Amino acid sequence: MTSKSRTAGTLTTDNRVLILVVERNPAVQRLERYFLEQAGYSVEFADDGLSALERARELKPEILVAEILVPALDGLSLCRALKADAATSHILVLIFSHLHAEDRALEAGADAFLIKPLNEKLLIETVETLVSKVRNEKGTR
Amino acid sequence: MTQKISAGATGLDEVLMGGIPANTITVLMGAPGSGKTILAEQIAFHNASPETPVLYLTTLAEPLEKFIAHGDSYSFFDASKVGVSVFYEDLGYMIRETGIETLAERVTDLLIRYKPKLLFIDSFKALHELLTSETHRRTVIYDLATALSAYQCTSFLIGEYAPGMVTQLPEFAIADVVLNMMRHITNVREQRFLRVEKIRGSDSIPGMHAFAITADGIKIFPRILTPRFAPTYRPKVERVNTGIKGLDDMVAEGFWRGSTTLIAGPSGSGKTIMALHFIRQGALQDERSLYLGFQENPMQMARIMHNLGWDTEDLISSGKLELMYCSPVEMQMDQVAAELFGRIRAGKIERVAIDSLDDLERSSVDKQRFADFIYALIQWFAVENVTCMQTVELSHLFAVSGVNVTQEQVSNMCDNLVVLGFNTDRDELRRSVRILKTRGSSHDEREHTLEISGRGAVVTKAK
Repeated sequence: MTSKSRTAGTLTTDNRVLILVVERNPAVQRLERYFLEQAGYSVEFADDGLSALERARELKPEILVAEILVPALDGLSLCRALKADAATSHILVLIFSHLHAEDRALEAGADAFLIKPLNEKLLIETVETLVSKVRNEKGTR
Repeated sequence: MTQKISAGATGLDEVLMGGIPANTITVLMGAPGSGKTILAEQIAFHNASPETPVLYLTTLAEPLEKFIAHGDSYSFFDASKVGVSVFYEDLGYMIRETGIETLAERVTDLLIRYKPKLLFIDSFKALHELLTSETHRRTVIYDLATALSAYQCTSFLIGEYAPGMVTQLPEFAIADVVLNMMRHITNVREQRFLRVEKIRGSDSIPGMHAFAITADGIKIFPRILTPRFAPTYRPKVERVNTGIKGLDDMVAEGFWRGSTTLIAGPSGSGKTIMALHFIRQGALQDERSLYLGFQENPMQMARIMHNLGWDTEDLISSGKLELMYCSPVEMQMDQVAAELFGRIRAGKIERVAIDSLDDLERSSVDKQRFADFIYALIQWFAVENVTCMQTVELSHLFAVSGVNVTQEQVSNMCDNLVVLGFNTDRDELRRSVRILKTRGSSHDEREHTLEISGRGAVVTKAK
């Protein structure tokens, strides 16, 4: 999957919603890629918080799925940074972590929280809810 | 609160305080033939449904066909679930093709394909044969743990692990739960026990729990422990009629309801007949009463009572009198306790006679455990307000005095202690009875005569 064809906050060239996932566990990466792509999304990965911030600015994904426990910049700090920047504040953030930190995630501005391990049904349902939210917001603009 | 899944094996959820913690890794260890695969398949079939698919991976120990044929002999095995909600795959074949280094990757492939909620790898230990060094072993197992913990799935690693391996092999470090299935062999007698070696994020009943392998699978009998709450204080003490003429009069306040009386005496001194009087009297007074014996089966016991001129058939058929028999040959005492308390709670039984403690003691693997077991049993009787009479055989033929008449301090634990014996009066052998202890009451300390005739036992007072 390349990133050259992206436009800010829009769909990919093949009309799929782009999701940027911040995750360093290769097993989780593999499962997330499989289930999200199966559900019709386009998926990009970053291994740490700082590179995720750069990629989010560059790719303008509609949704960012972040583990809290990632190197360089933790998932909560990443979320705050995205929400504080007008260029990225529209990106919906799903914190998906082993850490029971729902309150902290919402305080950081996250739009949704899920606890690991991965349950594909819950993950897809949550992402779909976020996608509907994006579409509704676009529709009302 | 930790979400748990039911093991589906009688007693195991109780041992694990509600079941196996969900989304964890459990190592199921034990000697060959200890029942690991039976328990694993039992858990698998119990939980399997279209919403809860189960993936059972075989490796290098036994071919897949053998697993299915073996499981098919148990009632929990439901062939209609195979291929629908229980999926078997040969992981051994896959990793022989691609190498043990790809274990985590192959397991992830299978997680993606089947989306299981429960995953079994049997035998996991057999995979160690493909691991060439300690570093290799740790890396491969770490990667597998990472893969298993990534997906919402409860995993079981099964293997013939010896106790010493627990501190050495990396799967025990990554495991959240370790269940050890043991075989205890003394002479020709074999007993099976399960112990929770490790459990994270939950509590469990400690110690060794007896289990049996039956046609329905594994049945676990949780070790009887002292109740966590004391018996309810009852300001008004209720006396119980033992049915042994002359005996109750020897105790000022009588035998209390909820108390345990130990009848100790040599062979032939009248212990069993006193126990029979005790339960028959209960049944005659509309108290549901149970006789637990280990030597005579219920038919033999009914015949003994019939020969005493007692019409017990109505008492038995009405459910007021229950005769429970456990063969002492393969008996495990926690199994007996589980069945006994099951009946007490189901049938509101008010009196129990246990005849004898010697048979129970022979089934115990250690003396301290036997003493703890009897103590817990007596405390539970008090909590349940069940009045109990227990018998124990003494090796000395003639009347004894002193409190510790039994080796395992059982006499100290009981509320009342009645000692039977023999005396010689010229050429005549005479049975004697003496109360050595009554808790919370005074008693007649003199020795009296126990007369046994075709109509039962009677205490006749010394002049």
